[in-house]
Amino acid sequence: MTLPSLRALVALWLLALACLPLTAQAHKLRESGVSVAVDDSPLTVTPSRDWNRLDGNIGKHTERWTIDGAQLNDVTFYAGIEPGKPLVRERSKKREPLPKFSTATLLVEVPELLETTYRTYKNSGSFKVTTIEPGQFLGREAVHFTYEFVDQDELTRQGEARAAIIAGRLYMISFEAPRLHYFEAVIAQFRKLADSATLP
Amino acid sequence: MRTSIFHLLGAFAILALAAGPVCAQERSATRQGFNLPAQSGKKILLLRPTMRVGEQSTGGLFEPNADWTEQARANIGEALDASQRNLGNEIIIAPDAYGEDARALNEHMALFAAVSQAVIQYQFFVGNRLPTKKRDNKADVFDWSLGNSVASLPGADGADYALFIYNRDVYGSTGRKMLQVVGMLAGVGVSSGEHVGYAGLVDLKTGDLLWLNADAQMGGDVREKDGAAKRVRQLLEDFPGSTIAKADVVAASGAGK
Repeated sequence: MTLPSLRALVALWLLALACLPLTAQAHKLRESGVSVAVDDSPLTVTPSRDWNRLDGNIGKHTERWTIDGAQLNDVTFYAGIEPGKPLVRERSKKREPLPKFSTATLLVEVPELLETTYRTYKNSGSFKVTTIEPGQFLGREAVHFTYEFVDQDELTRQGEARAAIIAGRLYMISFEAPRLHYFEAVIAQFRKLADSATLP
Repeated sequence: MRTSIFHLLGAFAILALAAGPVCAQERSATRQGFNLPAQSGKKILLLRPTMRVGEQSTGGLFEPNADWTEQARANIGEALDASQRNLGNEIIIAPDAYGEDARALNEHMALFAAVSQAVIQYQFFVGNRLPTKKRDNKADVFDWSLGNSVASLPGADGADYALFIYNRDVYGSTGRKMLQVVGMLAGVGVSSGEHVGYAGLVDLKTGDLLWLNADAQMGGDVREKDGAAKRVRQLLEDFPGSTIAKADVVAASGAGK
């Protein structure tokens, strides 16, 4: 085989392989009124509008839903994070270690756990928790909190989350969206979704 | 010979399975029912384009380059000046923004970029469409918005629509290019460089995106005058009411004579 044809073959293989993982994605519809288990866990929600479940996950026991795309409205479920584990998957255990949820973590410390996770995971130095208050989630005692951060795309995003620690595991649901237009447009839908969450 | 045929068939089989999403995705879309004829009497506010130009480090990180950014900003500005008369409707240049106005403009530009990226990723990209956006496509619905806060942008009160332009050009460093070559030899795909361009027409009352031309693989080296002119032509081709495509054809045939 000549060198030019070898190069052409290599280029063809690279193009073929580059196409493959992109098409392997399959986001799923989460229909209004239909109860569904999150990440095959006992945590169940019943959406009151159609959502899209994004393919893949950002960590063990996580699932992400969106309406218009992860950049514009992002609901993340943390369906039972075990003690000793980070909220999201570590890119590098050595260079970018993430804080871990532990048996000693208190409910009131969960906002800080998310903050320190984001400082590394999203490289977001501007994260600030804006409110923390006690509330209910999954029918149990919980913490409700709000936050704001500037992401790598230079957009300021607002967030709202509810978290509860049940049988030693962390259950949390968060919503993030650009503070311009998108947060206000979907926050009521998020609250309905969080209200619908149940755990036997 | 037999090995070559095996490789060819294998690669083509994967490409066939992949159904060619990289090559076959849409680039532009118009909101249902929107139509902007030339000389309609509507005013278009041209916002200062956002330019992000830099180098991609060996590790893939974006390192901004101030000189390139300034060059690109000047080149794109010149190319836009030259294209204005072909846009078909009255163009108003947005006033310079300072302080809080400048911050608000930057944030809206960043939102425009995020919306454009979401359109490419989740509605244009055949292999990655969100189920709800797939349904929109079937019903010919293109429904995206920046929100009605666009009405408070500097210059918005004197226009009907705003033209948002966002470019992000990242050139692979020598180290990155070498890594790409090593990757090729090892059979691992390593990208080098990124040339993203979005142009969008936004309703200044509602914030609705009326027309979008968005591509993550734009042409034209924006650091050069010719490249920037090519980029602007690419960004504004099919602009509602424009004669840019026609003007280009006329210019090209004129040059050939």
